[in-house]
Amino acid sequence: MIAKRKVVLRYKVLINTVSIIIIMLLQTTLVDYMEIKNVKPNILLVYTICTSILEGSVGGGVVGLFAGLVYDILSGKYLGFFALLGMYTGVVAGMANRRVQKESVIVAVFFNFLLTFFYEFGVYFFSRLGQQINDIFYIFRELLLVEALYNTVLSVIVHMLIVKIYKKFNLV
Amino acid sequence: MNRLLNFLKNKYFNLVLATVVLIVVIRISMNKSDSFMGIRNIVSVPLSPVQEFLTNAGQRVEDFFTLFKEIKNLKEENEILKIKVNELEKENRELKSYKDKIDELKQALNLKDKFEDYEVIGANVIAKEPGNWFYIFKIDIGLKDGVEVDYPVVSSTNGLVGRVISVDNTSAKVMSIIDENSTVSGWVVKSGGGHVIVRGDLLLKEEGLCSINYITINVDVAIGDVIETSGLGGIYPKGIIIGRVKEIRESNSELERNAIIQPEVDFKGLQEVFVLKRKNDS
Repeated sequence: MIAKRKVVLRYKVLINTVSIIIIMLLQTTLVDYMEIKNVKPNILLVYTICTSILEGSVGGGVVGLFAGLVYDILSGKYLGFFALLGMYTGVVAGMANRRVQKESVIVAVFFNFLLTFFYEFGVYFFSRLGQQINDIFYIFRELLLVEALYNTVLSVIVHMLIVKIYKKFNLV
Repeated sequence: MNRLLNFLKNKYFNLVLATVVLIVVIRISMNKSDSFMGIRNIVSVPLSPVQEFLTNAGQRVEDFFTLFKEIKNLKEENEILKIKVNELEKENRELKSYKDKIDELKQALNLKDKFEDYEVIGANVIAKEPGNWFYIFKIDIGLKDGVEVDYPVVSSTNGLVGRVISVDNTSAKVMSIIDENSTVSGWVVKSGGGHVIVRGDLLLKEEGLCSINYITINVDVAIGDVIETSGLGGIYPKGIIIGRVKEIRESNSELERNAIIQPEVDFKGLQEVFVLKRKNDS
């Protein structure tokens, strides 16, 4: 039993590492062409949330942490910034794990919509600590709402893909 | 002993520990942008060529579809133009004079002559910022080509693109002037012009624009004025074109004039940039 759990864990680490790197590569290159109203979706965030719902808070936190770290390295200004936010997003999304039916698409859709706001407001506030905040409603309407809706639509596809992969390798 | 081990395995303890470690890492990297270079290199260096490939592939696909669209447009346009031959001829003449003008301008702004004190290094854009908050992109030259933090970056038309904010061995990240954290000291080019600060703006950047806040009374600004770098601040050399004034917004008092700037550079279609390296900088 313990041996089987170890194998499962190894598979999960491998699959998540490869997925995060592939998604990050797409996010920094081809996603640029997917802009709607000048806003692009955050597939890495969608992936973090969908995985966290399946994995629970501990796994979600770890996936969020590493996804954020890769994000920091390939893009961020300060190392650790997106890692911290990603970790908490993963932990919060993981809380859904025990309370609801985790393989349901509706759960993924709901949490993606809510947590996109949580995450992007986090980026917004922490990246301009000490600065004046006066354009929040405009930003909410023009940027956050569009991104949240876009992410929500993509979450359906990402969720189904992840569940499929997990079932294929008997990881659920 | 057992209790201690259990405590170390506790998930709340681990969460707090990870939070503290990350905050420390953020603090360190805020103070020194080139810290943790080793970790950055491990991930960034092998992924750069893949990013380059994907960006190029995406560009090609886009070019293909644009071509498709263009063919359709041209057909429609041709129909209209056949009817209006006169208009076409007039347009042709106009286009020809534009072309001559562009060639002339290109020669006048030959980059190498303009920046005698600088070595000009060409670079390709290989990846863009993944999120919607910043406007940073990655270029395919790095430490091995002699690029360092704070080097200015310009386009082939002598327009200011931005500056280098971090470097690893084979690539560098450039913060563009429309990123909201960017401030550039500018100069309104005309008599009566003066010193202004050009800033990026979170919302304007979506349209590829930036802004000047709080123009002082003694500076004369009108729509269409050219803004150049002033050379103050030590990062950007004097005389790089930032852009043109697109709109002036006046509030109740004269003291609060803001302007919106149309940058010389089209950031959406940016593929090739030039990094300026000071010659005496070894």
